[in-house]
Amino acid sequence: MVELQNSVVDAQHTFAEKAERDVIAAAQQGDKLAYKKLYDAHVGRVYALCLRLTGERTMAEDATQEVFIQLWNKLSNFNGQSKFSTWLHSVTSNITISYIRKQKGWFQRTFNIEESAVHDQQIDTSADTVSLDDYVLRLPERARHVFVLHAIEGYRHEEIADLLNMAVGSSKAQFHRAKQLLTEWMGNE
Amino acid sequence: MSNSEQKLRQTLTQLPREKMPERDLWQGIELGIERQEMKQNTEQKPVKTGVKPISLAASFAIVAIAGWLVTQQLTTAPIENNAPLTAQQLAEALSTQHQSQRDNLLVSLKDQPALTEDWQQQLAELDGAANAIKAALAQDPNNTALLKMLQNVYQQQMSLIERVHSPKWRQI
Repeated sequence: MVELQNSVVDAQHTFAEKAERDVIAAAQQGDKLAYKKLYDAHVGRVYALCLRLTGERTMAEDATQEVFIQLWNKLSNFNGQSKFSTWLHSVTSNITISYIRKQKGWFQRTFNIEESAVHDQQIDTSADTVSLDDYVLRLPERARHVFVLHAIEGYRHEEIADLLNMAVGSSKAQFHRAKQLLTEWMGNE
Repeated sequence: MSNSEQKLRQTLTQLPREKMPERDLWQGIELGIERQEMKQNTEQKPVKTGVKPISLAASFAIVAIAGWLVTQQLTTAPIENNAPLTAQQLAEALSTQHQSQRDNLLVSLKDQPALTEDWQQQLAELDGAANAIKAALAQDPNNTALLKMLQNVYQQQMSLIERVHSPKWRQI
């Protein structure tokens, strides 16, 4: 009985994967309806990543749009060797980080204000619904980027160092800082 | 591992993988892709597909040159010319030309949704300003300052039309 259930689950999984491969192939051929299907299927995860990296809703919406606009041209690079969602996440991280860099003003870039500042947004810690996400958005920018990429998205510190243009040691230090801040804030709940 | 770290780890596993944006992003994406494709086509076939931007730039140039010529003609009109054109007559010619350029631009952008709902109202307000200037020109037919004002209003109309038909992500 269990074996039968497992094979049904496997069959469903295989069918879903094949359906997505077909949609990707159609989108690669320029089919915009197929591309809209891909967007519908993945916008939730892309937006979640953009929101956690940018730390701000409007910027996350714009970054999500930027991701899907650029992705249209990059689709031909997807060769099916990895899972589409894995590939999409890697593309999303790259585009969003470079989008954030472009959006940061000269002043911020020069004085690196965001690097050490904890976001001012107030969190109502008395509410029952304070989530880890609320705290993550409050982290200083670099610590947030490292924490999101390492702890949530599973990137290695070497990959993060490469992506964020920092030393591997800095990535580890920022991760440690993020963890410290988060545990401190959560401990005060 | 401390209790607080354990708690953090546990909370991490419960973090939602998906979050939905509060507004529909697809329309902007579609427009962005179209813009990108248009740009690529323009780069590949500069002569054929570059017509729109060139015509737009040309329309601005024509309006500017016309305005300059009008000003020059009024200020340096030869005395031997018995009937130099008045600013009002030139304003009429400018208006006719502008109307034609504006119609062409609107036709070329008709498939692109406007980003604001009140752009036509803004256009109508600028029409009202143009009419007021033309009425003033009727009272003072050789006033070149009024002619320049009219030219400026027409330029504002053209840039308004173009701006409201650009996708949001391009306006950042």
